[in-house]
Amino acid sequence: MNNITKSKRYALLLATALTVTTILAGCGGGKSAGNVADGDSGAGNTGDPGKQVTISHYTIDSEDRTFIEKLIPDFEKAHPNIKVKVEKAPYEQFDSKLQTLIAGGNSPDVTSHYGYGGFAEYYNKGMLLDLTDLIKEDGFKAEDYSIPENLMKIYTVNGHTYGIPVNMYVTLMLYNKDMFDAAGVSYPPSDYEDKSWTFDRMVEDARKMTLVSDDIAKTQYGVDFTWAERDMRPLYFGAEPYSEDTWTNGGVPSETHFDSPEVIAAYQKLFDLVFKEKVSPTSEWSKSVAGQNGDPFVAGKIGMSIGGSWNLAGANDFPFKIGVAAVPWGGNDKVRSTLFVDPLLILKDSKHPKEAFEWIKYLMTTEVQEKSIELSGGNPPVNTEAAEVYYKHFDGIDPEDVKKVYEGAAKYGYESYNHLITNYSQINDMFINELQPVETGHKTLEEVMPVIQKKVTEIIKR
Amino acid sequence: MSTVKATRPLGPPSRLHRRIKPVKIASFTALLLTTFLMLLPLFFMVSTSLKSKREMLRFPPTFLPESWAWSNYTDIFDTLQFGTLYKNSLIIAGFSVFGTLLSSALVAYGFARYRGRGNSFWFILLLSTMMLPYPAIMIPQFVLFSQMQWIDTFLPLIVPAFFGSAYNIFLLRQFFSTLPEELFDAGRIDGCGELRMWRTIALPLSAPALATVAIFAFIYSWNDLLTPVLYLSSSDKFTLPVGMASLTSSRFRIPPWHLLMVASVLAMVPIVTLFAIAQKQFVEGIVLTGIK
Repeated sequence: MNNITKSKRYALLLATALTVTTILAGCGGGKSAGNVADGDSGAGNTGDPGKQVTISHYTIDSEDRTFIEKLIPDFEKAHPNIKVKVEKAPYEQFDSKLQTLIAGGNSPDVTSHYGYGGFAEYYNKGMLLDLTDLIKEDGFKAEDYSIPENLMKIYTVNGHTYGIPVNMYVTLMLYNKDMFDAAGVSYPPSDYEDKSWTFDRMVEDARKMTLVSDDIAKTQYGVDFTWAERDMRPLYFGAEPYSEDTWTNGGVPSETHFDSPEVIAAYQKLFDLVFKEKVSPTSEWSKSVAGQNGDPFVAGKIGMSIGGSWNLAGANDFPFKIGVAAVPWGGNDKVRSTLFVDPLLILKDSKHPKEAFEWIKYLMTTEVQEKSIELSGGNPPVNTEAAEVYYKHFDGIDPEDVKKVYEGAAKYGYESYNHLITNYSQINDMFINELQPVETGHKTLEEVMPVIQKKVTEIIKR
Repeated sequence: MSTVKATRPLGPPSRLHRRIKPVKIASFTALLLTTFLMLLPLFFMVSTSLKSKREMLRFPPTFLPESWAWSNYTDIFDTLQFGTLYKNSLIIAGFSVFGTLLSSALVAYGFARYRGRGNSFWFILLLSTMMLPYPAIMIPQFVLFSQMQWIDTFLPLIVPAFFGSAYNIFLLRQFFSTLPEELFDAGRIDGCGELRMWRTIALPLSAPALATVAIFAFIYSWNDLLTPVLYLSSSDKFTLPVGMASLTSSRFRIPPWHLLMVASVLAMVPIVTLFAIAQKQFVEGIVLTGIK
């Protein structure tokens, strides 16, 4: 009897475990089991005459990226043989999930460099599909989609195209109109051709609005100048830290010049805003004031803020009136704005590149681009026709100003280093760490820059 | 225990009490102050969760919300599919707890009650798996589950729990080892099989240890971000941490901290509840068994 109960119990246990597993398989698998399967085996769809395929679009899980889900039904109606599935991850985990997906043989078809890693990193790891033949075969022309030719060149390496630009963020100046009014300073111009708008005039204006007080709540500063990534800032004053060949050979510079006198002088000018002119906040002050939201400008403590045009997306929530202006001239006649052009990429392991390209083309059409502006809450399109809709998107900001700032930025813009230089996430981390003591005033640039120069060289060689 | 009781009436209780009082007051004040300090972040979480977006952006921040935005607590359900995420997290955490308890208790019982060749070798091998960091097995595990076509299902998040975890097995083994052998001998005399002894003797006597393991397993599963991010891709399958990470995911706009705080407040509820229940179990376990 003992033996019978024993074996009965084992059987019961086994049965429970099995049932649990099957139930889970049932409720967890549900809808998606077919989707996962039909990518390669076509298990559920063998009967379809048009040979239906599923492509996946991997993106960041935030409203300004996942809006593409709403565009899928129309696309699938027009392309009955293609199903689109959106896969997503939070920003912080974007890169690690992508690497794991590819390593696990589950590579998505379409994505962009939305994480920390940039285009050059993907390119040098051999993750990207060369689109040149697809473009030729398809007869795809950038002008049909109102994509400026110079933007197409950004993601073309040695005559081979690896990405189709879809969104273009620029660097611009946001200013607090209330603070300008209170100080009696006239608004800065949005026209890039206005030669009087220089770095020095910006400092002058900033001085009039700066008010340093023992009471942290009363303190305000004239300007917060965080132009692009840290290694890119010297370019604003005309000093070039990376050698020319960086841009022609896939993001691997043969030389860097972070310890050159020109580059050090450029950084010095920016740190002078904080320590000499005292018109910009220290990083500690920014951190303490930024508190709950991360940006002292948003808290109304900064007169002018240089930053990416994505800052505009929150503009409707700001508790004060804002305007947009051109980035003042800093000594570089060609470059005054950083461009952040996001491309759509097809990954090398994609099993359906042709269908993926159909999806990309659909996302590029003027009609879809115009719709995307509203759906995303204000993503700036590369498509120049759709851009007209974008300029009008922001309440309380003159569309004419937005347009001028964008057109000026396109003319005086330079694609952000973070997309174009290899191993960029490591370079960026290193810069943040090494410049920290300078930002807090504990070290001088002359001490730090040779160290940075040495470390950049090491990272690039990896 | 009885000796302590006997000695107590002998002392002069009234004078003792009077002498202790100021000390007591001081220590209670200190405790209260520390409690207040500890509760401050919690207070700010709740307070921010009731502020409007505009008020949240202000500096200096307000202590109490000026206009109590109770609607945040309904808004979260629209922004995040909060109900679905919550349900998914509960399902996954529930099965994980069940699986961990079942497998770990079974394996631990074996390690605690059987002596055999290589016993300690296997136990050391088991413990050494604790030294493997998750990222080291992440990709092989992903490849395995992907070949089983388990991607975008809950299975990779639940099934591993049914295979035990070294830390919990160790914890339960230590507890099972303290149970007196006589109880099991008595069971054997009454004709109990091993599994029955496991279920009717070992498990009921180990309520405190099991409650601890259950809390660990629940918190681990409830807070886990990396595994769900890796294995889940469609939003109707996401768990709470993934959804909450997405709230601050945009590089392009001000994160809705007020809604994130709402989500945090609500995410705390199951853990607090579970802790309350398990704590009662914990105390009862000691009272019922009479074994330390």
